[in-house]
Amino acid sequence: MGFITISFAQDEDIITVETEGETKAQPNGLLSQLPILASGDDELIAEAITKLAKTGDTRLENFFELYRQGSVYNWPTEDGEVRIVVNLETEMDDDFNEFAPLVEPITGKPFLIGGKQAKPDLFDLEDISPGRKLRSLVNSSKFLIRLFSPDYETKISGVKKCGDPPFMVEALGSLEDISKDPGEKEKIRWTASESMALIDFGKKTEEYTGLTGRVEALAKLGALKSLRALARIASFEKEIQELQSSGKISSTESGSLLKKTTSIRKDLESHKGSVELAGNLFRGVSYGSVLILIALGLAITFGLMGVINMAHGELVMIGAYATYEVQMYFGHSPENSVNEYYFFALPIAFIASAAVGLLMEKFVVRHLYNRPLESLLATWGVSLLLIQLVRLRYGDNIGVNAPTWARGGYEISQDVVLPFARLYLLALSAACVAFIYFIIRKTRKGMLIRATMQNRDMASSLGVRTRNVDRFTFALGSGIAGVAGYGWTIVGGVTPDMGTKLFIVDSFLVVVAGGVGELVGVLCSGLGIGVITKLIEPLEFGGFTIGPVWGKVILLALIVAFIQYKPAGLFAPKGRLGDKK
Amino acid sequence: MKKNKLKLAIVALLGLAFSIPQLHAVKIGVLHSLSGTMAISETSLKDVVMMAVGEINEAGGVLGEKVEAVVVDPASDWPLFAEKAKELITEEKVAVTFGCWTSVSRKSCLPVFEEENALLFYPVQYEGEEQSLNVFYTAASPNQQLVPAAEYMAKEMGCKKFYLLGTDYVFPRTANKVLKAYLKSEGVPDENVMEEYTPFHHQDYQTIVSKVKEFAASGDACILSTINGDSNVPFYKEFANQGLTSDDCPIMAFSVSEDELRAMDVPPLVGHLAAWNYFQSVKSPGNAAFVKSFKKFCVEAGLPGGAKRVTCDPIEAAYFGVYVWKAAVEKCGSFDVDKVRKAVYGLEFDAPGGKKSMHPTNQHTLKPVYIGEILKSGQFKIVYASDGLVSPDSYSSYLWPDGDYPKPTGGPNGDGSL
Repeated sequence: MGFITISFAQDEDIITVETEGETKAQPNGLLSQLPILASGDDELIAEAITKLAKTGDTRLENFFELYRQGSVYNWPTEDGEVRIVVNLETEMDDDFNEFAPLVEPITGKPFLIGGKQAKPDLFDLEDISPGRKLRSLVNSSKFLIRLFSPDYETKISGVKKCGDPPFMVEALGSLEDISKDPGEKEKIRWTASESMALIDFGKKTEEYTGLTGRVEALAKLGALKSLRALARIASFEKEIQELQSSGKISSTESGSLLKKTTSIRKDLESHKGSVELAGNLFRGVSYGSVLILIALGLAITFGLMGVINMAHGELVMIGAYATYEVQMYFGHSPENSVNEYYFFALPIAFIASAAVGLLMEKFVVRHLYNRPLESLLATWGVSLLLIQLVRLRYGDNIGVNAPTWARGGYEISQDVVLPFARLYLLALSAACVAFIYFIIRKTRKGMLIRATMQNRDMASSLGVRTRNVDRFTFALGSGIAGVAGYGWTIVGGVTPDMGTKLFIVDSFLVVVAGGVGELVGVLCSGLGIGVITKLIEPLEFGGFTIGPVWGKVILLALIVAFIQYKPAGLFAPKGRLGDKK
Repeated sequence: MKKNKLKLAIVALLGLAFSIPQLHAVKIGVLHSLSGTMAISETSLKDVVMMAVGEINEAGGVLGEKVEAVVVDPASDWPLFAEKAKELITEEKVAVTFGCWTSVSRKSCLPVFEEENALLFYPVQYEGEEQSLNVFYTAASPNQQLVPAAEYMAKEMGCKKFYLLGTDYVFPRTANKVLKAYLKSEGVPDENVMEEYTPFHHQDYQTIVSKVKEFAASGDACILSTINGDSNVPFYKEFANQGLTSDDCPIMAFSVSEDELRAMDVPPLVGHLAAWNYFQSVKSPGNAAFVKSFKKFCVEAGLPGGAKRVTCDPIEAAYFGVYVWKAAVEKCGSFDVDKVRKAVYGLEFDAPGGKKSMHPTNQHTLKPVYIGEILKSGQFKIVYASDGLVSPDSYSSYLWPDGDYPKPTGGPNGDGSL
């Protein structure tokens, strides 16, 4: 080991010089350990990491992550002294020259030289990234430190990870404290008990007594209804059988162990079954709500007005791009979240798509009201035009960053997680249906729409301005399509041709299966298709899973059969389309 | 097909306009989709080839002749690739063609290149199982991407269970065959390997993610993802929304590069991995210069995205392909396909990502393998680099365990002989 000289221009906990072998653990002396990372001696580094981890300083969690990644560098001073710095990413100036802005290792504040953040050339930094052994040590140390984090998400991930292989026996003490701490959230305490039992259950042993200990731990897990334990029972049972066949334990011993594991497994499987059923139903309803949302606009333009609107998908796309524009305007980005943008984006997406719809109606659709085939071709042309315009303006790749509250989910009962984004879409979809229902059924405008669509000539002769009604209705349908695009951005991607590829077929499917012209039809067929898809997808027949590919095939076959039986869809059409027959 | 005729006419006019002032010019073909599904990915490759051509012309051309790029648009329409390739070779008489992205587009125009004994430089990682003397493959074969990545997950990350998830087409299916054979050879039991496919443009990943969650409950599972294109966005979003992180179950992706990340909401992806032979974050003077000139080129040419454009593996492979061809032409002093082909074998060259070389016989490229972790900015932190260059297999030794590989195809005699 060499002589280590340290010099720091940081805060109070500075230690200026330390000599060989005499590294004393200083109170709050995290910084004293850092230069050792540049020593190149794996044993010393491992020792330093262990010392650091023992401090329990939560700022180290991030530092360990950076160190494991290889973002921690040595930036030697001109005198060759070790300076440990962090550079996560490089920056470019206007001429695209690359610099490495540095931050301090523990505090994460900018690394200042002469009052300014140091931005040396990347090539001046000496790479001190750890080797494989050190990396796994740093990784487990990272999870240990998470146990002390004040942040719920960080803490629970640490608590959880300690119970995963390689099991962190050294965490048992802290986990026990957490599980008994009445100040902790219920979920954290539960997870801590689960992880403790999982560590006990994961102990490798070949003795019968050891195995019974593991089965006891498993019984605890069974009482906790731990699905993480369920995933590990099969390999444990295999282990027991192997030990029996190699003669390490007798067949009576293995028999009694297996009997216990089987009964625990059955309990856990029944819990898993109900979790899955609840999950599948929610996923079906959620998928259905997305289908309803994207088909709702079409239910108006095609369902009520009878326009085969092939550009419907593009109206959805415009709503998504409008959301992107609002995001840009508010400057929402992963680093700097401005969540309000998402609420302002809703009316703007509606207005943008409604405006495009209005123009479409004025220049294309209104000339083709009685010619469905021509309207099909013309709106398809409009859709190609819109795709290309958007592609020219935005290029091909853009990303809408979901608002931060849309990440994660709500655990309604143990292991049934409802993602916030899905819940929001569900609510949005319900609100849109209610909004449309209100307009069509409860307002004067809606009455005029219904009158015009049922019998245009009669309405016209009674003084309804049918042109205005057409315009309004088409814009309304288009605007709702825009809202669908807006909602879509929190679960899906945004590309110029998303409309043609993702939405148009599904929308027509929902509207046609539901019965052209009836909103309630869209509601039923959207939910029906959603729930059926999500119930058949996970089915398994002797090792063959249906999965999304066959799921789609089966669903389409079902719809074809259904249309044979009920050509008009769930709810027979009224209005203009119905009259024609 | 009226549309295509119109496009043809425009391309021909453009070609005419470009060819008049330059008397001594050698033509090269650029065969990338500029419209349709694949335009998202392929446009960048056309751009970078144009950039390389510009650089070469500025430096005096090849063998004293200016290089003139003939750009055609096969419009993501597979049969059209063959038609356009034929047009480039027989009407435009190009010396070499740079192009294709999907395997199906390459397979579609391959017979044309073999029949006419012309050359194609193919810049995208693919499933292997091919070796035509008329194609130089400048991106990864399976053993230069898939196997090192699976090895990294097993040995470095300690994963014991593998969920192979892909889009339903030839690359993921073949890639997963190779991966399964590799995992088997490493002693991973069958019940620890799951395989699942989704259709193109699949958007609803709720069911699959909940299955992954169950699969990963044992705490030692990972996903090897060959999900392609726009399905990636909903997949990663759903993954994060159901409360999974890279600590619970890391995702190793084979089709997600810097360019794809531009279209994604990156925070939920942070910490997941990708395996390539090049990242924009590769630290070398050559790469710094390359990234700089690519961004400048995009700004000056007024391309969408401008300075926000990023380089990625296929972009690097498309770029150095042009230089490999130039070096080979200069080595043999001729544009003749057969002479150039021989000159390419074993050629060593400096690519933006560092020194690389062409394989002495099998048409592929020796490359380093990198594994990167996704950062918040959509760039990758390189966490693993192979020890030197990895030699490519045209046919995977995992799929041909007896070593009895098929013979190459095409070439001057049309039968795979030189």
